[in-house]
Amino acid sequence: MDCDDCLERLYPYLDRELAAGELEQVRRHLDDCHGCDRTYLLERLFLERVKGSATADVAPPAVRERLILRLRHDVHGGS
Amino acid sequence: MGSDPFETEALSYLDALYRTALRMTRSEADAEDVVQDTYIRAFRFRDQFTPGTNMKAWLFRILTNTFINTYRRRTAQPPTADVDEIEETTLHSRMANAGAAAAPEPERELVDGILDSEITAALEELPERFRTVVLLDVEGFHYKEIAEMLGIPIGTVMSRLHRGRKFLQKRLYDVARERGIAAARAMPRPEGA
Repeated sequence: MDCDDCLERLYPYLDRELAAGELEQVRRHLDDCHGCDRTYLLERLFLERVKGSATADVAPPAVRERLILRLRHDVHGGS
Repeated sequence: MGSDPFETEALSYLDALYRTALRMTRSEADAEDVVQDTYIRAFRFRDQFTPGTNMKAWLFRILTNTFINTYRRRTAQPPTADVDEIEETTLHSRMANAGAAAAPEPERELVDGILDSEITAALEELPERFRTVVLLDVEGFHYKEIAEMLGIPIGTVMSRLHRGRKFLQKRLYDVARERGIAAARAMPRPEGA
């Protein structure tokens, strides 16, 4: 596997979407290639940062209360 | 209410559904409407849910359909970025050419310096077809699940995700650089845009 092949598979590799054979090939290339390994590091940190930030938000309590009221009214037919 | 396992599990995904709807619609009022309609549909069609399967994916499929069919048309569409301008260049492919970087791990310094508000703004700038895929990815769905939710091929999911991520990376690099983060100055800006 050369650098182009590796970089092309970097996202599927990070996303755990590669088949076992390809996964092993990418892993081996990253072990051997400093340049690709630095790219891997940046991409991994970047995805973790975006994911961590984007999944931190919670629904406001008022939204939850209004939802439960509406479900009670519309689905359960009032109570 | 309260002792129904279906309802308990469904409501446990409210935070994820709401924050996704908020970034899809970019409006708190619309996000709340989309989420309420999603739950109403989920409860009405609960017989179609197979217990033991992935309820989060099932709810997100309803959310995505609700957004696409009902809200997308009426949602205000502020200008989004032109992702077609983005070239297939990573920060790193040019960073390597820039010689020695400033810090031992400039990647970490750059990423750690990004603010949450900057990430939100960059996500909201993404054109919708890229944003939707990125948001579903962020919530932990597999390519195949996202493809099924949106009714598009897996290859399309992969290419939109790829380009969406490259766009975010470039935007966040730019804002980091504007704020004077040293690691961003050490890395050349990716090409395009």
